[in-house]
Amino acid sequence: MMKESLELIDAHLKKEGISRRDALKLFGTGGAAALMATGATGCTGPSSNAKGKILIVGGGLAGIATAAGLTHALSNPDITILEPNELSASYQPGQTLVGGGVWTKDQVVYKRDDYIPDGVTLITEKAVEFDPDNNTVKTSGGKTIKYDYLIIAAGLKLDFSKIEGLGIDQSITSTGDHAAVSKVIGQNGLASIYFQQGSEDTWTEMQKFIAEAKSGKKVQGIFTHPNTPIKCGGAPKKIMYLADARLREAGARENAELTFYPNGSNMFGVKEYHDAILNQFEARDMKWNYRHNLVAVDPEKKIATFSRHWEEKGEWDEDLEEYSVVPRSEKVEKPYDFMHITPAQVAPEEIANSPVGSGKGWVPVKKETLQHVKYPNIFALGDIVAVPMGKTGGSARKQYKVVIENLIAVMEGREPKAEFDGYTVCPLITSLSTIMLAEFNWTGKPTPSFPLDPTQERWIWWLLKVYGLKPMTQYGMLSGRA
Amino acid sequence: MKKTSFIVLSTVAIFGLSGCGNAPESSPEEKTYSKTPAEVYAESCVKCHGQNAEGNPEKKGPALNDRQAGELELDLYDVKNAGTNQSSGTEHDIMAHNMKKLSEQGFDYDPKAMAEYIEKSFYKMEVEAAPVPESKEAVAEDATEAEGEEGAEETPAEESEAVAEEVSETNTTEETPAE
Repeated sequence: MMKESLELIDAHLKKEGISRRDALKLFGTGGAAALMATGATGCTGPSSNAKGKILIVGGGLAGIATAAGLTHALSNPDITILEPNELSASYQPGQTLVGGGVWTKDQVVYKRDDYIPDGVTLITEKAVEFDPDNNTVKTSGGKTIKYDYLIIAAGLKLDFSKIEGLGIDQSITSTGDHAAVSKVIGQNGLASIYFQQGSEDTWTEMQKFIAEAKSGKKVQGIFTHPNTPIKCGGAPKKIMYLADARLREAGARENAELTFYPNGSNMFGVKEYHDAILNQFEARDMKWNYRHNLVAVDPEKKIATFSRHWEEKGEWDEDLEEYSVVPRSEKVEKPYDFMHITPAQVAPEEIANSPVGSGKGWVPVKKETLQHVKYPNIFALGDIVAVPMGKTGGSARKQYKVVIENLIAVMEGREPKAEFDGYTVCPLITSLSTIMLAEFNWTGKPTPSFPLDPTQERWIWWLLKVYGLKPMTQYGMLSGRA
Repeated sequence: MKKTSFIVLSTVAIFGLSGCGNAPESSPEEKTYSKTPAEVYAESCVKCHGQNAEGNPEKKGPALNDRQAGELELDLYDVKNAGTNQSSGTEHDIMAHNMKKLSEQGFDYDPKAMAEYIEKSFYKMEVEAAPVPESKEAVAEDATEAEGEEGAEETPAEESEAVAEEVSETNTTEETPAE
């Protein structure tokens, strides 16, 4: 019955359209109210009297949601958040919409201080040294903070410096100081929605690109995907779909060639979604070229250099009882008029190289309980955690509840038993009015929350994305209730 | 207006149902494996990763004894799925290819169970404590040499760190990951 009514709503909305006021009522107030109501019935479990000093490194979505949830669950919370950036809690999923000209930048800016839960101490400094054997963290201001329990939710860094020719020598975060990158990304046809200012500049650059196409010039649009794990794995494609939609809206689509150059060799790890995306690309005449990693850019001449890589058959390997394969690569140059760059993404150095980091930088945890592999009093979540997939707000929304439950178990001397299943969600924007709501987990299968075919593009998910998910984050997650 | 109210109500109900993290339970069929992780290791992995998971530079097999299960599992997951992140690809191109062949030969395993087996049987804290992350290959080579004496588990930490640092200096330009 739920399936039928959802189909009915989707069809009705598709046919009739919906006013902004109604949409806000529907997804904003209604959705948020419902979430808060369910939150009040006790998602985070009963109160605990466990005591201990909890230090949370990072005041983004994951860190603040965890702090908020802990203040509900603990009768005597003693929680400190370390976060130097006053815009740390901003709504990153909206940056795609800003880049596509659907939202403006001010719609994704949240101030950290509006969301720090009551009773939680905020120190506006960065953690720079970790000494997990002595349970201390040193801060950028020279403080040494002793903790009983540590939660690492420090996020990740965008590393444009891996691309030669841009003259960028430092990594940046999504919000905060972006001067090192903005001097070249966000102008002259180069764009990236991966940082907040970049998302606004993406729309400016995209409009120029569309104007060129409209003037009759044949133009090339390039969209990259790097060889590292990234936040929101769908975003590099979403901004491409939006460029396609905006070109069509302007009646200039036939003058633009749009090509996706990912490092990997598929569109999606889940076959059902991979197939659906290929169909969507073909239907829109969007091109793709696998196994291309962006390694250099000439911003003056507007040429992108990719490392194209493949494997060749090698010698017979007795141990493998098969022919071995030999990796090959070559540099290839592609001219562009507009290029959306998804930068390589890395764990912050001070954590990657510390005892709580790992060879690849990400904080290693038991992937179900999110407890550190070496230190039982340390948990990690959000973009910095070393789990397959899932650098999304949707994953963080599941993870923080697991961390809270398991941390309290450890504080009470019990085994941590709550398990994260790898859930992640990618509302794949496919036009200016449709979204495919790709939900999945480590089973590698679609795991839809709603009884609808998850491989279909739907108007109802567009409304959910544009009007519903932000209030859900703002009123539900950041207050630790949903 | 009436219709909109209906929609608002329905949606509130839908959100209400999904609000508490109670997405439908996925019921993956339990996958069964014909061999235990120990059997797979002894019959196959050992050829390129060594008796004690110390690695085998000649076969370009990296050490597996320098990471704990949580971390190792991520690599095995990447190998078995040829990548873990939409279109990022894998950092184990060759092993992903080999693994496909090995699975066909019956050497399939559950990444979690295999990671736990390798940690339990071979994990060396001292090697893992080496501070330079880029020195994985160097550490592998170091560990291979140390393998001469059976049960070299007691390598003093400073010594192995020093070696790792030294070798890594000469080794940082080599980007080709040992598979």
